Amino acid sequence: MPRRVAITGLGAVTPVGNTVEDTWRNLLAGVSGVGRITLFDPSDYAVQIAGEVRGFEPGEYIDPKEARHMDRSVQFAIAAAKQALRDAGLELTEENADETGIIFGTGAGGVGTLLAQQATLEERGPRRVSPHFLPNFLPDTASGQVAIAVGARGPNMAVVSACATGGHAVGEAMETILRGDAEVMLAGGTEAVIVPVIMAGFINMRALGDDPNPTRASKPFDARRSGFILSEGAAVLILEELEHARRRGAHVYAEVAGYGSTNDAFHMAAQLETGEGAARTMRRALQKAHLQPEDVDYINAHGTSTPLNDRVETLAIKKVFGPHAYEVAISSTKSMTGHMMGAAGALEAIVCALAIRDNCIPPTINLEAPDPDCDLDYTPGAARKLKVDVAMSNSFGLGGHNSCIVLRRVE
Amino acid sequence: MAVYNNNRRIVITGLGALTPIGNSVEEFWGNLVAGKSGIDYITRFDPSNVPVKIAGEVKGFDPNLYIDPKAARRMARFSQFSVATSKQALQDAGYTVSEENADDVAVVFATGGGGLDVMQEGSVAIYNKGPRAVSPMVLPNMIANMASCQVSLNLGTKGPTTTSIAACASGLYSFVDAYHLLMRGEAEMAITGGTESFITDLAIASLSNMQALSKNDERPPQEVSRPFDLTRDGFVYSEGAAAAVLETAESALARGAKIYAEVLGGALTADAYHVTAPAPGGVGAAKAIVKALKYSNLTPDDVDFISAHGTSTLLNDAAETAAIKTALGERAYKVAVSANKSMVGHSLGAAGAISAIATALAIKHGIAPPTINYEHPDPACDLDYVPNVAREMKIRAALVNGFGFGGQNGVLVLKAWED
Repeated sequence: MPRRVAITGLGAVTPVGNTVEDTWRNLLAGVSGVGRITLFDPSDYAVQIAGEVRGFEPGEYIDPKEARHMDRSVQFAIAAAKQALRDAGLELTEENADETGIIFGTGAGGVGTLLAQQATLEERGPRRVSPHFLPNFLPDTASGQVAIAVGARGPNMAVVSACATGGHAVGEAMETILRGDAEVMLAGGTEAVIVPVIMAGFINMRALGDDPNPTRASKPFDARRSGFILSEGAAVLILEELEHARRRGAHVYAEVAGYGSTNDAFHMAAQLETGEGAARTMRRALQKAHLQPEDVDYINAHGTSTPLNDRVETLAIKKVFGPHAYEVAISSTKSMTGHMMGAAGALEAIVCALAIRDNCIPPTINLEAPDPDCDLDYTPGAARKLKVDVAMSNSFGLGGHNSCIVLRRVE
Repeated sequence: MAVYNNNRRIVITGLGALTPIGNSVEEFWGNLVAGKSGIDYITRFDPSNVPVKIAGEVKGFDPNLYIDPKAARRMARFSQFSVATSKQALQDAGYTVSEENADDVAVVFATGGGGLDVMQEGSVAIYNKGPRAVSPMVLPNMIANMASCQVSLNLGTKGPTTTSIAACASGLYSFVDAYHLLMRGEAEMAITGGTESFITDLAIASLSNMQALSKNDERPPQEVSRPFDLTRDGFVYSEGAAAAVLETAESALARGAKIYAEVLGGALTADAYHVTAPAPGGVGAAKAIVKALKYSNLTPDDVDFISAHGTSTLLNDAAETAAIKTALGERAYKVAVSANKSMVGHSLGAAGAISAIATALAIKHGIAPPTINYEHPDPACDLDYVPNVAREMKIRAALVNGFGFGGQNGVLVLKAWED
């Protein structure tokens, strides 16, 4: 029997909820998590809005003494991982710790820590720089810290592919289980990048969207879209070898059936206009899952709300799906969460799992002005009841990275 | 334990290197065998204010030899390194990326910290001049996946392109990841490696305050990194990159390519113990070695050479020695264990890749490079560390160890090629 990979637990800390169920309820209700920045004073910045995680108490998950030395991105990661393990009903013990691994991605790692330490260096000198700085900045810190927090001793690393990171983490974790290197993997992404240098960098790249009403700023596939909204958070999926999950009577949300990973090899900050890279990725994922385009019921789009992405992604979906492109339901939850960067792909995989569980898909909000280049069914405005047996999640990243995950209902 | 239903075998057919002891594979290998140190006083910034003033720098690197000057100016140094070493490795492999094969070439290039230096410049700009002074290139330059992306962009490869990170084990994980990509048929060829370059005041200050770096200022810089020596007192920070071309044996033989070594796979484990210290007795590392041997269908008796993580810190070298003994039993005393960090220093995310190519060269040439500055035996480190002088020896199979902050343990298994 070939091995199969089940999803048995979910955890999330997002701008629309500090648990999976809160996040899901708000996504179905079309609630935006975007608002004026409170994490620093944004008065000097051309764009002053972002999707912040609000009311997050690290003390609920981490010993306060240890939490003080951790970057915000690491705190999010540990919180989401603990939620997911609890949801999966999985205790890590001496017996299973070696078979449990972690792949945790992040786009930028501990940039908040870097900024703070740079200030310390300039104002107070090198001897005051925190010894915790490097182990908090390196992008694999979340993977390592989550392993310590939950006691997982299997394969452990971080993947980084900018905005495609979360999707790659889920895909690589699936491969790790398929090849027998682990029975259980915590796969996820985390990001805490609402800090001055990142905001300034994106503003000066002209990548960010804006709107006098922050909740209306992220408008994927709408003709008036002007850029993405930076946000933060973490999301974790417990992936488990299917028989392993069945033996312990675990609830199975869905199966990770396919994974595609490619690169455009075109430009470090822009997508290939033809959508060929994105299309190849979706095809690879479907092929791996032994599914046809017609089998797909729902696509959670990368849908960033940038003029280029949404047009190219639409084109790519048409290339892969042919006439079925006009029948498949699509939505972009970034319309509500903003762009959680390295965590986005993992959260969107969770959305797909929940869509399969509840046979209900969240909407694309703020989609009111049709764009002739974006003429598919993006589930505008309101959630929709829909039988979802197969769902696809796309993630594309700065640097031409493309990842695609296909989830399937397990009977 | 083999998990793939095919008879693919993966081999290394090209190498590239930029290190403190040489900007090409030939120079690197020549100095490694000669036991030459690349450690010296820091020149990349004025170190008078930081407590540690030595590092292993890549000297005289000219990015324009490898990259269009305009593109090179808009690229962080760690990305310049990955592109340069990838080009060296492809050339060494005698392979050209073309429209026909681009989809089948993967890039799996690792880094530990990516563009920390770029981020630091951005932070300085914001503090001194405000948000408008921040370069729009800060993000696309600093983000760690550029280690792979820039290779793909500059060489035109279009297969899977990923960057995985496991701190000091990163460069070695990338070889294991590339091996799996090829075994599952997602690519026919993979450019893999590791790169690191952020010798900055902030990095040195933090590592030094972590008590990880040697603060020894009495010895000449070249003698400070002394893995397994009783008087070792911390690692020496460095920068660099190494790349390799991995492909199926079938493809290599069909092209008539030279084969350095076969990649048998590897294993990764986590200590789940501490952010910066290894688990006592090296239990996590020992498990990684045992798992890697099992995966490769080897027994301890098949192993002739180990490229040690050997950082020159008190904790690592003792824990690694214990791990080797736990995993290999009596065989541990018959294996040549060598730490190239005695010469190149510790380049974090590049270190594992540098060790991997050093090991491929050791197998190919039948020479174990030495561990230099080894003077005072430590009872806790009682293996054969190839002290000070290179040794001619037949190497049938070799392990490459890499252990990271956060307790990530990686072991790669290479074997002499036999048809």
